[in-house]
Amino acid sequence: MTDFTIILRSLTSRLFSTVTTVVTVAVAVGLMLVLLSMRDSGRQAFERGSGNMHLLVSRDASPTVAVLNALFYANPPRNYFLWSEYERLAASHPFDWAIPTQQGDSYGGLPVLASTPQFFTDFQPNDGEPWALSDGRFFDKPFEVVLGAEAAALTGLRVGDKVHLTHGIPQSRQLGDPNAPEPHVHRDFTYTVVGVLRPTGSAHDRALFTDLTSAWIIHAHDRRKQADPSVATTTEADLLPDDKKITGVYLRVATRPGQNASASLLPVFDALRRDPSITVAQPVQQIGALFRIVSSVDRIFIAIAAVVMVSSGVGIMLALYNSMEQRRRQIAVLRVLGCSRGRIFNLVLTESALIGLLGAALGVVFCLVGVRLVASVVKEMLGLVIRPALPPDLALYVVVGSIALAALAGVIPAVMAYRTSVANNLRPIG
Amino acid sequence: MPDTPPALDIQALRFRYPAPRDPDAGADDWILNIPSLRLDRAEQVLLTGGSGRGKSTLLQIIAGLMDPAADGAPGSGGTVLVAGQNIHALAGAGRDLFRGRHIGMIFQTFNLLHGFTAAENVMAALMFSGVPPKEHRPRALALLEHLGITRPDATPDRLSVGQQQRVAVARALACDPVLVLADEPTASLDPDNAAAAMDLIQSACREKGAALLCVSHDPSMAQRFQRRESLADLSSDKPPPAPRPAAATT
Repeated sequence: MTDFTIILRSLTSRLFSTVTTVVTVAVAVGLMLVLLSMRDSGRQAFERGSGNMHLLVSRDASPTVAVLNALFYANPPRNYFLWSEYERLAASHPFDWAIPTQQGDSYGGLPVLASTPQFFTDFQPNDGEPWALSDGRFFDKPFEVVLGAEAAALTGLRVGDKVHLTHGIPQSRQLGDPNAPEPHVHRDFTYTVVGVLRPTGSAHDRALFTDLTSAWIIHAHDRRKQADPSVATTTEADLLPDDKKITGVYLRVATRPGQNASASLLPVFDALRRDPSITVAQPVQQIGALFRIVSSVDRIFIAIAAVVMVSSGVGIMLALYNSMEQRRRQIAVLRVLGCSRGRIFNLVLTESALIGLLGAALGVVFCLVGVRLVASVVKEMLGLVIRPALPPDLALYVVVGSIALAALAGVIPAVMAYRTSVANNLRPIG
Repeated sequence: MPDTPPALDIQALRFRYPAPRDPDAGADDWILNIPSLRLDRAEQVLLTGGSGRGKSTLLQIIAGLMDPAADGAPGSGGTVLVAGQNIHALAGAGRDLFRGRHIGMIFQTFNLLHGFTAAENVMAALMFSGVPPKEHRPRALALLEHLGITRPDATPDRLSVGQQQRVAVARALACDPVLVLADEPTASLDPDNAAAAMDLIQSACREKGAALLCVSHDPSMAQRFQRRESLADLSSDKPPPAPRPAAATT
């Protein structure tokens, strides 16, 4: 029989009260930990997909819109570059690579990005993590398509399947408007699925990737068919300079070995920005700016979570306070047996802290379950891939903080126990 | 033979509660006014007379649960030596621990810890002794068995009144106290249980060599004790009466 036995017996004899207070603390701790996990992962999620790209050039209205369109596939950009303009841009400064991209088509509501094989060989969607395949290979000729991991899961397509692409993204149909015009499907051209990518944790996972030449061909075909409906098919040879359009350029500035990338980047960035006909964005800066808007909302949520934790502490205090009346006789008996007032105080305080500890431990479990739930809901509803990770040091602070808060909640009941009058509580009842 | 101090030695004890708690008392109304009271080792004394509150207050003062000088109205004070130690000279946790180790208390309503087994109740007393923890349970079980408890792992609600009394006695004696204080131990018991309880208390104290100060207004108790005191007699300055010859002993 030890102090701990007494505390444990006290908790189990009032099981309903104990379980309720523990769960209250667990919910508060779980909520706080989920928010903290999300905060960091939210920022990381936004940053995923820009990878080793330094600059993004497009003709969107602003750098923020450019990033949203190119990296998050928000909307296909409306304005385009001609191929000759792209070549001029690529030659204008020392770049490690200048990858042309075109967005505009879709499949099953998912965006299609057309580019060159360099998109897979040079660009890495996450720094240090090049593209990887889970099946098949990258495209190397026209009319081949590679699926992002999420796109493959959503469409059920496998290597070897044949598809037709849709012109534009039929958003009005997506939004459930039954009167919207039928989307125009490029039925005359069949693509073959040749590869499926591994997940990158970015919006690229929901996209399909194909070769730039095929994109030009199918749109040139539309142009030619409009002029002459009897045209059967179009080939690369039929392409005019005006057909070779792109909507964005991924750029990586050449860095001398040993030199910091930003040293070479900034002068090029400034030089490019002077051209009023293009929009230049540094993806990481834009994402940071976007995230700062969100982060102040984030702080409000965390403040709310803190209030929830405090109220769980009040719950513990109330539960123990209410139990004190029933325990006065037990306390009096322990005092008679030789227990000091101080030891009684410690027993109650320890009991309170123990509730905090159990609640915090359960709260960590709630968090681990909760973040998976939140991640899947966010993915379903927003299409955003987040990988919430609980920062261990923050988790420790929250756990220790909740134990301390619980102990604090126990102070008033512990003082009541300390001051319990032995004489009055040993008398026969009635 | 070495000079062992008496189990209990009270000198010049005067006590009354501070004014607000005792509105009816006049200035001269001491609840306790004991010039001297002494119990030798293993001596058994019955204390009668006076108000119930006076007797309970005396036991609480002896046990160190109340301090006559600190808790009483001005003028209260006195010395209480238990096994030669001035219990009120000890402070806080030291006093509590001394009480746990040297004084056992038996109550009218047993005051067992509910939700704990009989063995755990006895082990609770041993928590505050110097006995090593791994010996607690064996000692508790041995003591309970000796006192006739066959189900040491039953909780008080599953024990009969007589059995609960035995557990209470075992708990009081667990730490081999030098003094046992019994406050109306049979007042809640029917005559049969009362007799059995007193037999148990007295024989257990005798075996352990513990002095017994038993407070009771039950007239049938008188024959059990060789020495009987009344608060009234103690309070006067009369010399203590000579011990009355024992009636037929059990």
